[in-house]
Amino acid sequence: MSASLPTPPEIDRSDQADQSEIPSRVVARNEDADFWRRMLLALLAVSLSFVVAAVPILLSGKNPLLAYWALIRGAFGSVDSIAFALNKSTPYILAGVGVALCFRARVINIGGEGQIAVGGIAASWIALNAPGLPGSVLIPLALLGGGCAGAAWAAIAAGMRLVRGVHEVLGTLLLNFVGLLLVSEVLHGPMGEVGAGFPQSPLFPEQAWLPTLLPGTDLHAGILLALLAVVLCHLVFWHTPFGFRLRLLGSSDAAAAYAGVSVVRSLLSVMLIAGGLAGLAGAVEVLGVHYRLIQGFSGGFGFNAVAIALLASLNPIAVLPAGLFFGFLETGALAMQREIGVPSSLVFVIQGLAMIFVLCALGISLRRQRI
Amino acid sequence: MSPEATVSVSPMLEMRGISKRYGRVQANDAVDLEVSEGQVLGLLGENGSGKSTLMKVLFGMVKPDRGTIQFKGELLARHSPREAISTGIGMIHQHFMLVEAMTVLENIMLGWSRAGAWLRREQIGELIRQTSLSYGLELDPAALVGELPFGQRQRVEIIKALVRGAELLILDEPTSNLSPPEISSLLTVMRRIADQGRAIIFITHKLGEVFDVCDEVVVLRDGRVVGKSLIANATRSGLAHLMVGRDVSTELNRVDRRPGAEVLVMRGVGMRDSSGRERLHDIDLSLREGEIVALAGVDGNGQTDLVDVLAGLKYPTRGTITVSGRDLTRATITDRLANGVAYIPVDRATTSLVPGMTIEENLGLRDFDQPPFRRGFWLNHRAFRKQAEARISEFRIAASGPDAPVQTLSGGNQQKVVIAREIGRNPKVLIAFQATWGLDPGATRFVVDQIMALRSHGGAVLYISSELDEVLMLGDRIGVIADGCLLGLAPRNQVDITKIGLMMAGHRELSGLT
Repeated sequence: MSASLPTPPEIDRSDQADQSEIPSRVVARNEDADFWRRMLLALLAVSLSFVVAAVPILLSGKNPLLAYWALIRGAFGSVDSIAFALNKSTPYILAGVGVALCFRARVINIGGEGQIAVGGIAASWIALNAPGLPGSVLIPLALLGGGCAGAAWAAIAAGMRLVRGVHEVLGTLLLNFVGLLLVSEVLHGPMGEVGAGFPQSPLFPEQAWLPTLLPGTDLHAGILLALLAVVLCHLVFWHTPFGFRLRLLGSSDAAAAYAGVSVVRSLLSVMLIAGGLAGLAGAVEVLGVHYRLIQGFSGGFGFNAVAIALLASLNPIAVLPAGLFFGFLETGALAMQREIGVPSSLVFVIQGLAMIFVLCALGISLRRQRI
Repeated sequence: MSPEATVSVSPMLEMRGISKRYGRVQANDAVDLEVSEGQVLGLLGENGSGKSTLMKVLFGMVKPDRGTIQFKGELLARHSPREAISTGIGMIHQHFMLVEAMTVLENIMLGWSRAGAWLRREQIGELIRQTSLSYGLELDPAALVGELPFGQRQRVEIIKALVRGAELLILDEPTSNLSPPEISSLLTVMRRIADQGRAIIFITHKLGEVFDVCDEVVVLRDGRVVGKSLIANATRSGLAHLMVGRDVSTELNRVDRRPGAEVLVMRGVGMRDSSGRERLHDIDLSLREGEIVALAGVDGNGQTDLVDVLAGLKYPTRGTITVSGRDLTRATITDRLANGVAYIPVDRATTSLVPGMTIEENLGLRDFDQPPFRRGFWLNHRAFRKQAEARISEFRIAASGPDAPVQTLSGGNQQKVVIAREIGRNPKVLIAFQATWGLDPGATRFVVDQIMALRSHGGAVLYISSELDEVLMLGDRIGVIADGCLLGLAPRNQVDITKIGLMMAGHRELSGLT
């Protein structure tokens, strides 16, 4: 092929004039330039959710401005509250970034809940059954164990999909219940604390506790893992052949096949990664917050992870602010309830509204982009 | 038919000054259109010339910015498609709006108030039989639509419009998926419908059909009417010139070259799908350097399976495929690429391109896992950029830059990205499946020229298309694929077009004939 080929006359001049201007405005690199516009939209949507949520507060005879002030102070008012909120965000971010990768590849993994639960069990078992190991060995081992257990749990669903054609929505959803009940099962059986009034395991030996980052607060090292996970997932997604495969798979099966991508391998790997991250979230939660396995320790984390991934419009790096938003909101909500008497469950309304508004805003922006 | 007859009748439809703008694109610019009773009006234009917008305006699917529509003396404004149907306008879309799991009768009754709250199957069935008889559209009301061939489904759509009282029928590219015999029977039916006092607007870009059936022709370009003429006064080259706005040279520069060594060899390749149906029957084919083998065929006769088997998307159940002596029967896509097999699939939107990705990523779509695009664990973005800059200038892709998303390009430029990737790799064998699908004549010409250039450089090309003209223009050897069989492969100077048409319609009839 050389320049000596017959050169075709261009005929769609008018088209080109129109189209050459559009791309520069819409996107430079697929995501990077568009990122800030989307973030702004997401922020607007979140603000709107607060405005709308003011209505029920007003109806209950409370002043929404005071309530929100209490919420903000509750979330950011002290080092303790910030530490608490960061701890709360950690599992959300870990599980959320895995879900974002899966959804990007059109693998609908909603099994975070079960993967977190199983990860917590595995980490607890290692923490309880390896006495005498120093913390520098025990903690990584327990984290690794949690991650592997979560990955294995996800692999079951992936296997069902690949071997028997059971859709992963079904597989992951149903395995959630099994995972949650498994926590109950082990706490009422082999791992339960004898004589405790509540289904919980004995306290872990102190060398299994995640180190705290700020002396005098509860802030544990998990948030660093979450940060690392977000950065790694971002790099993998945008800058490696594996991420390229996931993006192809997310576009269409036909395009992926045409590009020589093995659907089986990619689906399995992305499920393993997401499961591993969720399992890690479970391990961090038991090793960093409770220092024991307790029933319901993962309450709603897995489903919130899906919400957070969507709030981040499935962009790995945006999972960080989205996860922090959920964590700080829930932390502030407790203060709001304490001080103003607005029930903390109102934050679920705010979370729900924020999700709806963000999805609408991004939906509209996508439609605009296509023209 | 005669010019006087059409002029004297007051028009059934008068569209005046129709304008419609989408963003910066003026899709229709003060378009006037008239159709009279008994007339077949050809609406000719390239893709993007504004034909579809104009018809959508008429059918009430799009509101015009300006302009008036008068139909049978009444003003039509702000109307919905439902209202358009009830005033007597029927539209037959290129993609049929039929429920495959229902019978012909049920499809026709669907959403039609006259079918009754309690469905009046008997009466409607009788109505269908009569209508189909009077227009020569044989059709069994009890047949399942899903089991009907394409041409028959089109008849269902036509009858559906006729029994609902359509006096003006809009046919949007109705011949694009039909075999030559089906096309000629459709044209006969169209003529008969018009002769009974109805009118037809026939949207097409095939000049030959315009001359076969139309009374008058209107040519659109860039949203404006650039020509209007009675068919008796029109010439092929004149219309073609109006359509593209310049002379399209039909001469190909086919360099005389003796085909070289065998490159691609298929021996007894057969394929059975998961339900056990034979999709390909013992295909033998040898393709040599610098040779184009072009296969015609109506869609759905095994073309997809043939290209998939060659490209490595599916594996044959029997037979062997070799390229330059190397057995690639069960090789992966990556192996095939490494052995010089390139592939241009038919579908840009979901297969050969990822619309949301950038041009540079799409150009590296099939090589991202190989050096230089992969460097260790990472993608080498610089290699993507470098390749893209070279290809964009070499293949004249009109874009704001290598990082523009492919979805912002026009169809022609999108296909250039595919061509640049597949031909740019300088393949030994190119499998091209409907490579000009949905392209306007200018872009089509570009694709054809690139394929011819590959041939002059010694590449072997298998070109598969349902556009018979293209197959005849490109092929050094020409054959037909029908029912999964490869038929009548012959050198281009020994080709019998009638025979090809018959083979396309189904080889069994042919074996009965000869």
